[in-house]
Amino acid sequence: MPTSIGGLLSRNKRFVPLAVTIVMLLLAYGFGAYHYAAMREPQVFFNLFRNYPFLLISAVGMTFVIISGGIDLSVSGVVALTTVVVAALLRAGWDAWAVIGFVLAMGTLYGALMGSFITYLKVQPFIATLAGMWIARGMCFFISDDAIPIRDRTFRILARTKILIPGLADPDTKTGAFVSFLVVAAIVVLLVAIYVAHYTRFGRTVYALGGNERSAQLMGLPVQRTKVLVYTISGFCSALAGVTLSISVMSGHGLYASNFEMDVIASVVMGGAPLSGGTGYVFGTLLGVLVNIVIQSIIQFNGQLSSWWTKIVIGALTLMFIGVQSYMLTRKGRAKQRTAARADRSILMRRRRKQVVTIAAAAAVLLVAVRGVNRWVRQATGGGVEAVAVQGEACQDPPLRTLGLTVPTSDGAPVIVFERNGGPRCVGEVFTVFADGRVVADDGKEVREERSTPAEVAQVLAEIDGLGWFSDELYDTWHTRCRECYGYAVTVASQGRVKQVKGVDGGTDAPARYWDAVKAIHGLVRKEKER
Amino acid sequence: MSPAGNPRHRKLTESRLLFPVLALALILVFDFFYVPGFFTITNRDGNLYGNLIDILRNGSAVMLLAIGMTFVIATGGVDLSVGAVMAIAASVAAVMMNPVILGTSIGTDIEKFVTDPSFTYSPLWEVILVTLAVSTLCGLWNGLLIAYGRIQAIMATLILMIAGRGIAQLITNGVRIQIFYEPFAYIGNGWLVLPFSLYIVAAVFALAWVLTRRTAIGLFIESVGINATSSYFSGINEKRIKVLAYAFSGFCAGVAGLVASSNIRTSDANNLGWGYELDAILAVAIGGTLTTGGRFSLAASLVGALVMQATTTSILAIGVPAFAVQAIKGFVVVLVLLLYSEQLRALLRKLTSQWGA
Repeated sequence: MPTSIGGLLSRNKRFVPLAVTIVMLLLAYGFGAYHYAAMREPQVFFNLFRNYPFLLISAVGMTFVIISGGIDLSVSGVVALTTVVVAALLRAGWDAWAVIGFVLAMGTLYGALMGSFITYLKVQPFIATLAGMWIARGMCFFISDDAIPIRDRTFRILARTKILIPGLADPDTKTGAFVSFLVVAAIVVLLVAIYVAHYTRFGRTVYALGGNERSAQLMGLPVQRTKVLVYTISGFCSALAGVTLSISVMSGHGLYASNFEMDVIASVVMGGAPLSGGTGYVFGTLLGVLVNIVIQSIIQFNGQLSSWWTKIVIGALTLMFIGVQSYMLTRKGRAKQRTAARADRSILMRRRRKQVVTIAAAAAVLLVAVRGVNRWVRQATGGGVEAVAVQGEACQDPPLRTLGLTVPTSDGAPVIVFERNGGPRCVGEVFTVFADGRVVADDGKEVREERSTPAEVAQVLAEIDGLGWFSDELYDTWHTRCRECYGYAVTVASQGRVKQVKGVDGGTDAPARYWDAVKAIHGLVRKEKER
Repeated sequence: MSPAGNPRHRKLTESRLLFPVLALALILVFDFFYVPGFFTITNRDGNLYGNLIDILRNGSAVMLLAIGMTFVIATGGVDLSVGAVMAIAASVAAVMMNPVILGTSIGTDIEKFVTDPSFTYSPLWEVILVTLAVSTLCGLWNGLLIAYGRIQAIMATLILMIAGRGIAQLITNGVRIQIFYEPFAYIGNGWLVLPFSLYIVAAVFALAWVLTRRTAIGLFIESVGINATSSYFSGINEKRIKVLAYAFSGFCAGVAGLVASSNIRTSDANNLGWGYELDAILAVAIGGTLTTGGRFSLAASLVGALVMQATTTSILAIGVPAFAVQAIKGFVVVLVLLLYSEQLRALLRKLTSQWGA
């Protein structure tokens, strides 16, 4: 019996987004393998899993939330909080398994709490989980400001255990393709989730809830309980993802997994679960995660492409998937109306065409615009400054060396100690200015002494004092979350008063006059640097 | 006379401004007792300084975002991309003023950028015009995707939120560009008795107010937010209204981007406006606009933005480390959500009517 492709598509339309994802994945991997020989190694394929088990675990939890028609923006916060709590408890001497049990319970409870907020107080999911994210991330810094290393033996074993792939590895020499224990954990989570979503009463209720909450309620399904449970599952998955992350990086810090929820949501959407809820497959999420990871790997392998291309490509791809999905949805609408009047049909056709045209045009415009901007910037600058940028990406704010340092006000002691560190070039400079005009510059590698005039120093001091340095208006605005901005610790001593104010640029929370003071000192020390 | 029957009392309890102003007052009362000198306002060369002024000044970016976000949320949508649009705006502005800083081959006039504060590649009006055009275009893009592409608002703007930071980094080639051009720095750092950015907020607010309260657009927006389909059947072009709302939100984000980048004298594609979308959404939520759309109040949203900023400034001023701000903000939001929840309000109403009787 001859069948048209269109007919085949409309009969199996449930699987079309999934098929598109698979095609996408194969295309992306094929592209990568064609261009970069290293990507053809089987180990690289398994590394795809190995480097990102936490993404898969979190995405599985998110899939349930999205199928139920909600959204959970708190995942990154919960992941970061989990790493910090794990590291802190291990440092306090807890047993590794007790720690894991504790944080899993914590994450689950946290998810349940947010779920109850959403269900019983009728708070919009994205607002409740946003607040949840903030609280979780803020809590990290209540526990510890810096990264806490993990030295636990059990965690080390979990991190280092290699599970060899039969057929691709040599069991005698223990070389060849392998996956880590964490990947196995992620796969187990995935399998359990597939079972729960498709073969249990709870799973079907989740789908019904996402399809239409009111009908689900009228059908007598336990809507409220299911809704709370969905967020509970997501909380559990995020906590588990946090545990795997802390095992793979062997430390905990509140800055980990920033913007992680966007990766997770994009993966789920690319896996074929539209944000409107009601449809989607947990298995699709695995594919979505893989697409996400393959693209990130290609950009890493390329080396030439800057990391921001990942964001743009992921954005464009997500848009494309949504286009496919909404195309399918309107197709469904058309199929239902096929028996209706012809006029109706033509209206629907026109509307569908319009929609497809809009989305296709949007995607095209995005790509063209990005290309245009790129070319323009290249022309304007005569080539990139990739080296600086790449270095900046890897740069973490080191702790300030002058933290806790106070300047004695006796004669001959420094009057200004100015430290600037971090930034895209990872500087760590300390300038010590003395009343007699000496400026000692220390960039962490060498120490130089320069001379300014006492009058100039006195003038800067007066200016800073005039800016209200010693008043209540100037206070610390030290954020630790910023990865690329400069941190400043400025200590000023004048007329028997000493005050240190720390700040980070890139935020606008600093008091009005702080940057003017920094600028004044900058003028003094920059001159010394250039001389 | 029972309080429910008193028209004045009713007007007060039903006013959208009541809760946000109450919240702001609570925070300020807290400051009065726990932060010495919080209310001191000093006069230096005719300009006013102090913690209260700082709240206004540092909150101006979020206030601007909140104005645009009010439009969007009132139509029943949400704009997650405002932070990214801020970054794009700042990058465009910075590149227009000193593209040389980008290149490895430094031009002969590099010195001029650093030493001559009045040197720029493009004049200020051009910078502002192009920046605002680009950011409005970003908003327009969101609006078209949502109204005509029929993509969910949260998803369409999420895409721009992810891709936007990438685009902003692309524009500046991933480099933080410092801005030495003084007239531009005046936008965020200048003072005319009060911080100059406040006048910008006032101007944008006036524009928004005239748009919504002196034309029918305000009504149309509320009607679309309450029921888009029935608005369509009563002759409102609901798609055009949505596009307008998102475009305006993009415009506001552009202004906020200019203010913020001028404030810190840099364009920072990675961090500028990071997390501001949340602040703006919560400001609108505190302002009492339902996140599902419908009736809105611009003034209440502004007060909501001030609540967020006052919380931040107070926390910093009492000496709590800045990293804790996020957590405390989160708790404030939870508190506000509790205050606004129908269940709790019903309980409160019951209590007050008993008390009045």
